[in-house]
Amino acid sequence: MSDADHPTLRSIRACLEGAIPATMATCGADGTPNVAYLSQVFYVDEGHVALSFQFFNKTRQNILANPCATVLVLDPVTARYYRLHLHYLRTEAEGPLFERMRAQLAGIASHEGMAEVFALKGSDVYAVQRIEPLPGEGLPPPPPRADLLNAVRLCSQRLARCRALDELLQALLDGLHEHLGVQHAMVLMLDAAAGQLYTVASSGYPRSGVGSEIRLGQGLIGVAAREATPVRISHMTHAALYSHTLRSSLQADDGATGPDIPYPGLAHPHSQMAVPLISCGRTLGVLFVESPLDLQFRYPEEDALVALAGQLASAIDLLQAASDEPAEAPPPGTHAAPEQGLPLRVRHFPANDSVFINDAYLIKGVAGAIIWKLLREHVRSGRCDFSNRELRLDRSLGLPDVADNLEARLLLLQRRLQESGMAINLERTGRGRLRLRVDAPVLLDDLAA
Amino acid sequence: MAALLSPTHIALIAQGVSAIVSSRSADLRPSIMRAMGTQISPDGQRITIFLRPSQSAQLLADIDAGGPIAVVFSDPPTNRTLQLKAGGAHMHPATASDRAILRRYLVSMQHLVGQVGYGPDYVAAMLSTPPDDLVALEFMPEAAFDQTPGRHAGSPLPSPP
Repeated sequence: MSDADHPTLRSIRACLEGAIPATMATCGADGTPNVAYLSQVFYVDEGHVALSFQFFNKTRQNILANPCATVLVLDPVTARYYRLHLHYLRTEAEGPLFERMRAQLAGIASHEGMAEVFALKGSDVYAVQRIEPLPGEGLPPPPPRADLLNAVRLCSQRLARCRALDELLQALLDGLHEHLGVQHAMVLMLDAAAGQLYTVASSGYPRSGVGSEIRLGQGLIGVAAREATPVRISHMTHAALYSHTLRSSLQADDGATGPDIPYPGLAHPHSQMAVPLISCGRTLGVLFVESPLDLQFRYPEEDALVALAGQLASAIDLLQAASDEPAEAPPPGTHAAPEQGLPLRVRHFPANDSVFINDAYLIKGVAGAIIWKLLREHVRSGRCDFSNRELRLDRSLGLPDVADNLEARLLLLQRRLQESGMAINLERTGRGRLRLRVDAPVLLDDLAA
Repeated sequence: MAALLSPTHIALIAQGVSAIVSSRSADLRPSIMRAMGTQISPDGQRITIFLRPSQSAQLLADIDAGGPIAVVFSDPPTNRTLQLKAGGAHMHPATASDRAILRRYLVSMQHLVGQVGYGPDYVAAMLSTPPDDLVALEFMPEAAFDQTPGRHAGSPLPSPP
């Protein structure tokens, strides 16, 4: 028995994403039928779809009076028709489903040049009572695409071999590129206390953007983190609402929060997807992928990325826990060479723990407090070996009691130091251990007063 | 009877655009199917819709039982859309001469749907009509609504001058 004869909602998900819109028939209490084009038929689960509620129109009046609706969809490859027999249940005006539909609609809207027309008022949830495949000659089904399950397996194997956070993130980005053809990706970690996400790794961009920040709820990435749900835009023009909103709000922030590291994302994305990293029910961050081409990320790619994001999140949590139990003492410091050359002037602004090296912005927040502490210790006592544990015990760093993501913050700091190209670097010398390498004299300038 | 459709609207339908047909059963369950072809009389008073009975059993049963009809016409590249309604429609077998109408309709749809990214083979599959699987519905529109996406969707068309 084939899917074509007994389709499930999942087997016809492709029909919900074609450029030929679905249509819906409803009937008023007076018995007058009405046909409407649908902006979206959104897959909720095997028994439910959601349709976008944008206006108080005839369709709306009809389903409130008579909850029966019939939707006609068309497979975008085989040209086969299916009818969905629906029963209206409820309207959701907030939450994950609403946000996913709103983001997708924004993409469709900008594609159609109708951003204002397509504002979402609510997600109308319908029970799917029956899926009726219609007879027809149709076209042959598409040849199997890249085997996604195998791609997920290959990525998963790479992740499973990793023993440190930087390796893990690199393995994910490499795997996405090689096995899933994702050219542009980034991983952001959530600083829940600050309500911000910060980029810790990226691939495919001219600048890494490590350290760049996005507010919770801002753009696709911020919405995915806030709602703990994947959010996807399948096709959009360069005028895309979300991209534009994101960029303009980032620009608006520049003056208020001091120097920021520029967001590395594509200027003209056509497909984007943000998937939350969730472990033990807690959102750790977001995996974000994008493409300059339309329709690169559909339901199957969403399935693949959600699976990988789950493994990534669990691995991040496990590595974090492991890093708190140093297994071995570090090898003795080998920092014998005297610091030479022109001195580096390091300034620290306690208001937001921002740190500048020779007037170039380095980092702020917890990572800024950490590098400032390490440098102070180093200048005072010549020490260069440190442990995660002592950082965690130092209340002045402002690490939250739980879910501090210390490993991610150290990785962020390490990468920023590398990218700054100054003579200060941070090295990992074992689980839960780090070493500060300072190859020039350092002058510390705390602007507390 | 006063004209319901302006020459512009008649021209839109005569061009051969997407058409979705609906009716409902006695217990007010809506039925729906895409038309495989359409035709409009020059004065806009009479519209013919072609359907495949194998794909439209419930819809045809509803019309046959005296149910009302609603048809949405939409031009894919521009989204210009209008909906026509009538208290009922008359069903009759398609004739050999109707085949020429379907061929013209297919060519128009291949051109229009091509502009939103689908090739002619796809449109031909979407509108394929085997010889023994075709019926015509004829109706006289009694109400017309602007259905172009947006705030005014659903408002009655202004009467032609």
